[in-house]
Amino acid sequence: MNLNPFWSMSANTSRKQRSDNEEQSGHGEQRASPARMPFGRKQLPPIPKNAAPITKPSPLGTPIQSANGTHASYGPFYLEYSLLAEFTLVIKQKLPGIYVQPSHKSALMWFGVIFIRHGLYQDGVFKFTVYIPDNYPDGECPKLVFDIPVFHPLVDPVSGELDVRRAFTKWRRNHNHIWQVLMYARTVFYKINTTDPLNPEAAVLYEKDVQLFKSKVVDSVKLCNSHLFDQPKIDDPYAISFSPWNPAVHEEAKERMFTYKRRPEDHHKVSQASGLSWVKPGSTQPFSKEDNPPQS
Amino acid sequence: MMASVVANGNRDGQSLVLKGVDPETCMIVFKNHWAQVVKILEKHDPLRSSSALPSLSVINLTASSSGSSRFGPIPGDEASAVQNYVEHMLFLLMEEESGQAGAMGPILEFVVMENVMERLFVWSLRREFTDDMKLEQLKMYEMLVGQARQPLLHHKPILRPLMMLLSSCSSTTAPAVEAELVLLLNQLCYVLAKDPSILELFFHTSEDQGATNFLIFSLLIPFIHREGTVGQQARDALLLIMSLSAENERVAKHIAENTFFCPVLATGLSGLYSSLPTKLEVPNEEWHCLHKEDWLQMPSLIQFLNSLEFCNAVIQVAHPDIRDQLVSYIYNGFLVPVLAPALHKLTLEEVMTTTAYLDLFLRSVTEPALLQTFLSFILLHRHENVHILDTLVSRINTPFQLGIVSLALFRTLIGLYCEDVMLQLVLRYLIPCNHMMLSQRRVVRERDCYSASAAKILALTPSCCSPDRSPPPLRQLDSILFSKGGETPDNSGNTEEKKSFSEENDGSGNSCTIGSEIYLDVSYLHYLYDARLSINSCIRACQVWSAPYDGEDPPPEKYQPGVLEEPGLTSRQPQMALKKAQRPFALQAGSCVPPGTDPLPVNQLELEWDDSYDACPVQTADASAERGPPQPPPAEPPKHIQEMRRTARMLVKGSYIEENDFQDDVMVYDLIAKKDSGDVERTSKPSGSQTEETKPGSAEVPLKNGLNLTVPSPAMVDNSSNSLDAKANGQTDCNANLQNTTAVELGDDLLAQYEELIRTLDHEAGGKPVKADGEVKKPITPVEVVVVEEDEMDFASFSAETPEPEKLHSPFGTINRFRSGSATKNNSLPFTGPFISVLLSRLENMLSNSLHVNLLLTGILAQLAAYPQPLLRSFLLNTNLVFQPTVRSLYQVLAIVKNQIEELAASKKDFTELITAAQHWLMAREPSFIETDKSGGSSGSNHQEGGRILKNSPPPKPKAISLERTEVFATVLFTEFLKELAAIAQEHSILSYIPMEE
Repeated sequence: MNLNPFWSMSANTSRKQRSDNEEQSGHGEQRASPARMPFGRKQLPPIPKNAAPITKPSPLGTPIQSANGTHASYGPFYLEYSLLAEFTLVIKQKLPGIYVQPSHKSALMWFGVIFIRHGLYQDGVFKFTVYIPDNYPDGECPKLVFDIPVFHPLVDPVSGELDVRRAFTKWRRNHNHIWQVLMYARTVFYKINTTDPLNPEAAVLYEKDVQLFKSKVVDSVKLCNSHLFDQPKIDDPYAISFSPWNPAVHEEAKERMFTYKRRPEDHHKVSQASGLSWVKPGSTQPFSKEDNPPQS
Repeated sequence: MMASVVANGNRDGQSLVLKGVDPETCMIVFKNHWAQVVKILEKHDPLRSSSALPSLSVINLTASSSGSSRFGPIPGDEASAVQNYVEHMLFLLMEEESGQAGAMGPILEFVVMENVMERLFVWSLRREFTDDMKLEQLKMYEMLVGQARQPLLHHKPILRPLMMLLSSCSSTTAPAVEAELVLLLNQLCYVLAKDPSILELFFHTSEDQGATNFLIFSLLIPFIHREGTVGQQARDALLLIMSLSAENERVAKHIAENTFFCPVLATGLSGLYSSLPTKLEVPNEEWHCLHKEDWLQMPSLIQFLNSLEFCNAVIQVAHPDIRDQLVSYIYNGFLVPVLAPALHKLTLEEVMTTTAYLDLFLRSVTEPALLQTFLSFILLHRHENVHILDTLVSRINTPFQLGIVSLALFRTLIGLYCEDVMLQLVLRYLIPCNHMMLSQRRVVRERDCYSASAAKILALTPSCCSPDRSPPPLRQLDSILFSKGGETPDNSGNTEEKKSFSEENDGSGNSCTIGSEIYLDVSYLHYLYDARLSINSCIRACQVWSAPYDGEDPPPEKYQPGVLEEPGLTSRQPQMALKKAQRPFALQAGSCVPPGTDPLPVNQLELEWDDSYDACPVQTADASAERGPPQPPPAEPPKHIQEMRRTARMLVKGSYIEENDFQDDVMVYDLIAKKDSGDVERTSKPSGSQTEETKPGSAEVPLKNGLNLTVPSPAMVDNSSNSLDAKANGQTDCNANLQNTTAVELGDDLLAQYEELIRTLDHEAGGKPVKADGEVKKPITPVEVVVVEEDEMDFASFSAETPEPEKLHSPFGTINRFRSGSATKNNSLPFTGPFISVLLSRLENMLSNSLHVNLLLTGILAQLAAYPQPLLRSFLLNTNLVFQPTVRSLYQVLAIVKNQIEELAASKKDFTELITAAQHWLMAREPSFIETDKSGGSSGSNHQEGGRILKNSPPPKPKAISLERTEVFATVLFTEFLKELAAIAQEHSILSYIPMEE
């Protein structure tokens, strides 16, 4: 194993902050809240009828129809921001062992890496790319392709593509999010599923000869890790690349990662200057704070 | 004269000479000189010719000023001989180095032993103590204090005569003496700041004279509000003492309890305010607030701002006791008695002017404590039983300049990121979540992942303004490369890029390009960028807020509106400050006894307090019954200030002259307090106490501020040809009047509405034609009589009936229905507050608003939309949120405006051309606007509305279009506003969800 200490260390720190419980609760929350969105949108007219000006009898339907052209020309902005929103959701989820970064060239392509910390694929470091359809969120579910086809029943041995579609048979806006795809990619390595495999050999071996399967997996993990320092498959400034530990380069970054947690408070203090509040917490009355003006 | 020689003479030459001389020789020379001086001094000593020192405590200072006549004149040659000797002696003293281990040098020791300075001072008193003499002495000390090489002030024999001199100088009014006095005081303060140990001595010295005071400080007070160098030096010196007070409890206590500092400072603001122009010349229609280049033209305003800035600085550095006291005085001595009535003056111009001043003050104040004072005045104070805030909000709907200025004021208020302001203006109406369907509460916190709201907002873009319709220079379209890989922006480059992607991606056909072939409106990128900055700074600022306002915290069910207590300030202030704070107000009340009552004879002590603190002209019923809008009394600013200064100085001065009745400040206070209590008793009968409610609408209403106006009965209205003048209710909101006509179908044209209004009024007032012609700017003011009653009715009527949709859509809204507390009283009734209501109704009227009103209006709404609080954000931007039927949303109003525009575009053939012309006009305006904005620089908002329009545009060919075509400009603006809102909505979907450590 030539897994470098820098990465393993950072992975450990991230593990401390996150627990599996968190993921699950986050998952449930996400699923619960957006359920009414389409309902609200479709059921009610944009302008309640009684609120329309009586003097202006123009048809209520016109605004939306007539402006469809304008609407369309802003489409790319909506797409870009939808993807940005997805990305902030990923950040918020703090998925254990998963790191992604949108490519420089296009927000539709994200680079990622997943660290497997236990189980059959322990110590695996798999780089992958996520391809998001350009009609997102109304299209198919995003694709996830491993740089090197991992030996796994659900990973295409030629293309490296993970069979994501089985988990998201129909991609539903507001319900499905890209972080869920990433979550799925992680789960796959802990709970092996052999039905309808993309890699029948792996599926059969897992069913019939686990030992051989295990040794094949170990070989595959070794192979992937041996290519860790290779140039990124796709030439992009934001592609994820690994390099051997070099104190001159990495030590400082590591320092920063460990001191990072202290910074928000300092930041907080500085920013306090601009806003004002004399409302006592828990009160809804202005100037309810008992104490003297805050700055003394 | 001697001192001038001393001060201006060749000091350097002298010191050069002295440098070579050994200290012993200097000492001998000094003693020699002194011996000569003593000879002359003793020769003229009236009491004894022995060497016994005259005791200063025996000598009567005032007697001394006339003393010269008692003992016969001193020959001129002897006087000048003394001067010459003293001059040399002073140089020797100045140049002497201190002895070993900080001991006194021999000359200084001699000076202290022989009490030289004191005897010299007595000598000058023996002679004619003219201004010139004072000047000499002051310069002498100024030189000693400033240039001596060893500390002199630690020694009582030096300090005491200095104090005597200072107190004797306090009575002079000669500018030269004053200037020198202040300079010396300033220098003393610098010495104090460097060496606070002297402070004790200053106090002790005073105690010797039987008064506990801090002379240096008290002497500076009269110069607080002085203009020019003298004032500046005095303020600098005072600030030094203020920062001393922060560390020295005794100084703080003394200043807060025994001096006139805070009241003089606060009431001085009132005095200076009264000298400001009551009506501003409005340069053009666009004008909406006082920029720096405006007030730099107004000396009186500069002076006021100087003093305000000084208050700000004092509050920043002074001890909390002083700070609290000052703040309380400013509230009770300036804001409540002066600014509140000024905000309720009788003519639109006056009210507009006051509003502009208030806006400027808010932008000038930086210290949170002072800002809090101003804000609590605006939010909590009731004038005529109506919150100032409500009055200000209602004025947004006023046509003409007042409405614009009011909008600018609210732009300032909203830009403060102050939770209290936002709570009162908007949030408190949203907290109960009554404005939305119950099932929608969870939507409040939802994020708009797919920019659905932005899309819906942009979909309101009028067809005539779609980007595809604009001709090239205006159609700032550019290819925006969402796939950033290609350097070349042309299409071929992109397709190659696309191909290379496909090839790389194992032929699976993954398209990674976002709309690279589409040409997009570049300006939208600027809006996104601005939105990002705006939301970011807002989020950061709001971190200090007490709650997230997300529909859960504060909990909607528990929301208790409660009664707003007036000065939240006082509960917090120390008891002492409170007690004292009431005084200037009492003085205030005393000075404006209603003319009807017989004022008591002025106090025998002649301790008059200046009337000028009251900015409100005292008016008799007769005066108001004359004709036309009441004229303010001829402004006498210099006299007022002069008077105030004189009074203050007299009071201060009094404490240091022993034979005077006033031994110290405390006594003066007692005297004034007695006088006050007399006044209060007198005034309390007719006007009642300040905090008590007065009943508006009665025939004779003696107003709290001393205005005594008679409300004309309908008969009187008939009699006066033009009933514009007399109003019991200082609130001159025309929208209140317009409300009368809300049921009337109003045309688009504002003037038409006016005519309608006046006709209605005329009808109600008794059929006699109102002569409102010729005064185009004033037709707003009639019908006050009716309004008073309307106001009374509103609460009841509102709670009884549900507002009907038509009313909500009346062009001028129904703001006055929603008086303070009405919404909170009717907690269950969906209502988003008068502020939102008035903004939306003005927005609905966008097509007839002037360009400048629309710029301000959209600027305010955009700023509101940038606030991160989910309650506010969801209300303004979430187009999926389902509201109660009676609640109007921003989106609905935008849709209405869009429909109006579509109709207009369909009915006018040249509409598209006009729009192009308007776009050109706006683009041509932009560079100049940015220019003036930069030079002005005083505006707090960095989201200048004009600045965001049509950025980076090539220079256009301007075509003629009249600004009268408001509907055309409004259409252009509307389209831009949609983009701005959409951009804000899009940025919210990202920014509000990024954890703060980002």
